[in-house]
Amino acid sequence: MKKIHWIILGTIFIITLVLEFTVLAGYDSHWWNAIPAFYAIFGFVICYALVYSAKFIAKKIVNRDINYYD
Amino acid sequence: MIEFFTIPGVILIVGAALISLFSEKVRPALFLVFPIIAAVVIVTRPDGYTVTGSLLNYDLVLMQTDTLSDLFGLVFALGALVAGIYAYHMKELGQQISALAYAGGALGVVYAGDLLTLIINWEIMALASTWLIWARRTPETDAAGMRYLIYHILGGGLLFAGILWHSVVEGSITVESIPMEYTPANILMLLGVAVNTAIIPLHTWLSDAYPKATHTGTIFMSIFTTKTAVYVLIRMFAGWELLIFFGAAMAVYGIYYAVICKDMREILSYHIISQVGYMVCAIGIGTDLALNGAAAHAYNNILYKSLMFMAVTAVMYSAGTSKMFHLGGLYKKLPWVLGLYVVGGLSISGIPLFAGFISKGMVIDAAGYGGYESIMLVLLVASVGTWLSVGLKLPYFTWFDKQKYEGELKPIPVNMYIAMGILAFACIFYGVFPNALYTFLPFETGYDPYTVYHVVEITQIALLTFVAFWFLRKKLAPELTTVLDLDWFYRKAAPPLRKVFVTRVDNFYDRVEDAILATAGFLSRKFKNPMLWLNPFTDKKNEASRYSPSMEVVMSFIILSFLVFAIAYLI
Repeated sequence: MKKIHWIILGTIFIITLVLEFTVLAGYDSHWWNAIPAFYAIFGFVICYALVYSAKFIAKKIVNRDINYYD
Repeated sequence: MIEFFTIPGVILIVGAALISLFSEKVRPALFLVFPIIAAVVIVTRPDGYTVTGSLLNYDLVLMQTDTLSDLFGLVFALGALVAGIYAYHMKELGQQISALAYAGGALGVVYAGDLLTLIINWEIMALASTWLIWARRTPETDAAGMRYLIYHILGGGLLFAGILWHSVVEGSITVESIPMEYTPANILMLLGVAVNTAIIPLHTWLSDAYPKATHTGTIFMSIFTTKTAVYVLIRMFAGWELLIFFGAAMAVYGIYYAVICKDMREILSYHIISQVGYMVCAIGIGTDLALNGAAAHAYNNILYKSLMFMAVTAVMYSAGTSKMFHLGGLYKKLPWVLGLYVVGGLSISGIPLFAGFISKGMVIDAAGYGGYESIMLVLLVASVGTWLSVGLKLPYFTWFDKQKYEGELKPIPVNMYIAMGILAFACIFYGVFPNALYTFLPFETGYDPYTVYHVVEITQIALLTFVAFWFLRKKLAPELTTVLDLDWFYRKAAPPLRKVFVTRVDNFYDRVEDAILATAGFLSRKFKNPMLWLNPFTDKKNEASRYSPSMEVVMSFIILSFLVFAIAYLI
């Protein structure tokens, strides 16, 4: 990832934030709409949680040697 | 009679028989003709067109069309066509026949107006698809194919038992929506369909067999079995609340395995379970929007899931392995495959302007507005996992990261690119023009995916998931492992069970046989010259005394008199 890529992603993110606080300011169909940038936080936190919990499950329960069933 | 040959399923099955008469050169092209004829028939038949027949005392509805069946019928025919283009270089007759018959079975199910026609086509699918696993002809795939076949025979048996019970109780075999009552007949039918839908915990046939099927076989399999079952669920079990929870569980379960697995085809196979989970969940919700969402998602899924399978199969064809441990850094060598895969990846992750966006949002919104906000959040978790596992992890470790693949790459046939190109075009087309799909959905809902809210929602999730992935990517680095699933129970149970019920029984019969032969041998030895033991004074060491012709005459007379008496008695 070059610097320019990060700048593009950051710009898109800022645009979504601007939209959220202007066009969608009064939007309220789910309880979590009250939390600012909810979906961004959600994506980040859930991704972390998924990776760590999957890693845990893999290590403790499901991963075996490649020739396990042979 | 001629009407019989307007049934799309019959067209493909007749095609499967016909192509065997032609030479290797003509066959791949001929293969494509039949899905095209089927598609033309589907497009030209009016709504409500029926073909009837009879079997014993039953009146069968062999074909019945409406919006829903046409939607699935058309995408199945197109799927078979594109997969046929992808498999154009593959000359093996057995695989061509079974793939075409398999597609025919799927179309047969979709147009079946009665449950007997449905179950017959259901079984055709199971049998035909098994060959796509066995055709690899390795001990591993022989065993996997057998497990797959047994699982499907079990599922088909459950469905058939339910159908028979249902026909006795209700006196009807029409394919129709079943009220949510947990009667034995309904439970049996639901279980039978659940096997093919890969509803957990009945999903292991899929994750076991799909990664082991032949290159092109997996493409066909990813299109038909689960989506046919989804179609039957929409027809018969819409609004069964139980499905909501099983669907949501499938969505997350599939994701976890897609994150854990390190083999490209395993990742995509588990991901099918997750995607079908969305559809099952929507079917459980059962509102117009939800059922539209399920149908649209199944339709789109066939497009982008087979595109992704085709792309990883192309890599596998070229590099000879599907293990990401051995791949990496292929972006300079296979840039087009990467590009086509990414179109599929963006579609399946529901990124705006790609096909998944217009159907996945429908399902998630149907949950949110149907009063299931927690289910909506679970589905959003699965969306994050989708983007993480098949949108980012798989392409990153295959085309980027360190280059681990050292060998020469086999050139990829141009027909593979054409097939992938068609699907990629369709993914973008439906993403940009959602109404091209929405007008063919069973219900009018006036749903518009391109709202500001929706775009902001998905973009934020996708961006921040990407950032988190970038930080954590080392944690997901591929390694060589076997990943256990619930099939562990029967795969581990098989050797001891075989020991008890096969080996032990065999041994027992062996021993009995040995004992009988030994007894017979012993007796014949002893009675050859009974004087040896009847007369204790015989000199055993003396050869001459051990054999006496007179003794033989006496013994012969004894046997002869036995025979004479026996015959006299019988007369």
